[in-house]
Amino acid sequence: MSNESLVQLTNVEVERRSIIRALALGLTSMGVLDLEAAQHVHAANAGEKAAAGGPYKVKTFQAEEYKTLRRLCELIVPKDDVSGSALDAGAPEFIDLLCSQNQRLADIYHGGLAWFDAQMRKRVGNRFVEATATEQTAMLDTLVKAEAEETARRSEELVYQRTAIYKDFSNYTVKRQSDLGAGVKFFDWVRKMTVDAFYTSPLGVKDLGYKGNGAYSKYTVPAEALEYAMKRSPFKAW
Amino acid sequence: MAQIARSSGVVDVVVVGSGAGGGTAAHVLTAKGINVVLLEAGPNLVPAQEFKDHKMPSDYAHRGAEDGGALYFGKGKPFGFMSTTSGGWELEGEPYTVGEGSQFSWFRSRIVGGRTNHYGRMSFRFSDYDFKPYSKDGLGFDWPISYEDIAPYYDRAEEFIGVAGSVEGIRSAPDGKFHTPPPAKVHELLIRKSCDKLGIPCIPNRRAVITKNLNGRAACHYCGQCGRGCQTASAYSSSQVQVFPALKTGKLTLITDAMVREVTTDGSGKATGVIYIDRNTRTEKAIKARVVILAASACESARILLNSKTHEFPNGVANSSGLVGRYLMDTVGFGLSGYVPALEGMPHYDTDGYGGAHLYMPWWMWDKHDKLDFPRGYHIEIGGGYGQPGVGSYHGAARRYGYGAGMKQKIREGYGASVGFAGRGEMIPNLHSYCEIDPNVVDQWGIPVLRFHFKWTDYEWKQARHMEKTFAEIIEGMGGRVTGLSAAQRESQGISVPGTIIHEVGTACMGKDAKTSVLNGYTQSHDVKNLYVMDGGSFASNPDKNPTLTINALAWRGCDYLAEEMRKGNV
Repeated sequence: MSNESLVQLTNVEVERRSIIRALALGLTSMGVLDLEAAQHVHAANAGEKAAAGGPYKVKTFQAEEYKTLRRLCELIVPKDDVSGSALDAGAPEFIDLLCSQNQRLADIYHGGLAWFDAQMRKRVGNRFVEATATEQTAMLDTLVKAEAEETARRSEELVYQRTAIYKDFSNYTVKRQSDLGAGVKFFDWVRKMTVDAFYTSPLGVKDLGYKGNGAYSKYTVPAEALEYAMKRSPFKAW
Repeated sequence: MAQIARSSGVVDVVVVGSGAGGGTAAHVLTAKGINVVLLEAGPNLVPAQEFKDHKMPSDYAHRGAEDGGALYFGKGKPFGFMSTTSGGWELEGEPYTVGEGSQFSWFRSRIVGGRTNHYGRMSFRFSDYDFKPYSKDGLGFDWPISYEDIAPYYDRAEEFIGVAGSVEGIRSAPDGKFHTPPPAKVHELLIRKSCDKLGIPCIPNRRAVITKNLNGRAACHYCGQCGRGCQTASAYSSSQVQVFPALKTGKLTLITDAMVREVTTDGSGKATGVIYIDRNTRTEKAIKARVVILAASACESARILLNSKTHEFPNGVANSSGLVGRYLMDTVGFGLSGYVPALEGMPHYDTDGYGGAHLYMPWWMWDKHDKLDFPRGYHIEIGGGYGQPGVGSYHGAARRYGYGAGMKQKIREGYGASVGFAGRGEMIPNLHSYCEIDPNVVDQWGIPVLRFHFKWTDYEWKQARHMEKTFAEIIEGMGGRVTGLSAAQRESQGISVPGTIIHEVGTACMGKDAKTSVLNGYTQSHDVKNLYVMDGGSFASNPDKNPTLTINALAWRGCDYLAEEMRKGNV
């Protein structure tokens, strides 16, 4: 179980302070300040994690609920050839922790996870985690499709409401909302929190290739980046 | 300097509020040897505890979503967990009300330094024509001062707080005393190319961030996190740059958690001090002073003036004109984003820079109003780059792409390939936009609260539509496509909610005539000669330049004048 980011590292905080102090003492004389050191705080190291962490103790969910949650997280952000999955990034732990602090959020998850199981039983006679991967993705595809239809419907409605030429509503029939509404809503919850957990983890930051949060005496823009974008732009060259 | 003060319990000057105006007043006056008591409604600021610069979301178990995922329920810290804001759109126990049919949002920061701790640090001088708008187009009011009057104080303010920028010779964006600006980022250079084709100037941004050491402050180290507060004070805040150093002079007394209720007067037309509530003990306290300077923010200062009612001043002190609270202005805001395929797959690099954009577009049509269907103008701010991933950064993309490996790949590809534009324009002061005392509501300190009324007119709506058209042209010119709001949404939501740009000014406007203005050109009350308003309240118009630098400069100028008056024994 990986939950490196859930562990607060006090020595890291001490390090951050010393870096900031170094910056305050004046970095102009030093040329490029130790970028590695400045980036310090975030790259939590594996040894410390193992020492301080140990296996994560689930706070909010029953064992079976947690299995379903883990499977959803993994389906939302799976492992690929660039990076690991939401499980590797500590998404289930993140959701469990926040739910343990907020009953309203916990209720959303308890209810949503139960909905997923009930729905899957109706579809294939099995709970969500017991269904095949194909059955699981088929269900998520259905929800995503229902979500897209709902978004389109709302947008159309908005156009009708806002556009002057549609003062007359007599020709407008409201399409019935899908009965998957509760599932769509819950899936959006678990998706947005999984995506947050993944992309804010060291794993996700590396996947995206965020290079910032540094400390330099001079800011520069690499010529190769400039060349690349300019060539692909309508301007072609400088 | 005469030290009547201490023995008789009367201080030289009491300053209410420690933001841009109050911080400047505290610094300038104490440097002249004048004793100042500075009242701040919130607590002191402790940068080492408060600021989260150089943190990553993964340093927190909640990743920035806050305990219990407060962010997901719209109850997160304004501008995000990492931001150094102390305050918000709503403050517990300190309501304000909004008149029927109006919309207004009021951001209040109760902490030493106020909103300068987190603001965008855009530092633009007003242009010469900005001081004479009525003379130019017959709308609004001329200022009683000209660009020449304020220019030396722009110099001083820029040299003291430190502003990076470049000399360009553009009339709408007068040049100043600048530190060297950092180079433009790739997406900004594409934007500049597109602007070149449209005849829009695109120049180095001007932000109150130093790029060489200044007065014991370290030069910017380009972490791009000014909004979180800067422990090296490379970005200006009145707390770190003015208030804390002024405390070292021994001339400044800072009193925190002091909610000022009213200005006291002596029955002969002079202010004698202020009454405040000590928030910690809920007791009422009085300070006697030779001079009172209000710098509590435009609306808060108006509230204090309007709540200071006596037989002598039945409509509130300094309000013989009836204009206190009137002609409230915010900045016209509109934003549009675009996706730029040319940026897709570019070798990633650090785009954090000195925080915010490295380029911006000043207004370019100040002499072409015959071609426009609205008066005045706007400047354009730019967004884009490989931002630090945070909670909420990819909700939209996730919804768009569903889930799974495909979504992951799309988010990866789209990272850093979007640009955003924000227009910041000038509104025309109007009779429907003002604040007044709500006769039915008091806050938890027993102080009557403000009620806001606000209306955008056709002038502002048409300007916002011009922004929309311009931004779309810039995006399309660089081979991009407009994203975000649908056409229908833009039609209905196509202008910022009043107050949300947090440039509210003009509630105690300056002018030549005591009948048609509240203050003179030195921010001194026409009615009460030892009372000044040194925040954005004094603005006679709200040009398309962010107000802070002009608040700094006007406060500096007002303090020079005040010190001279004190020396002459006129107050």
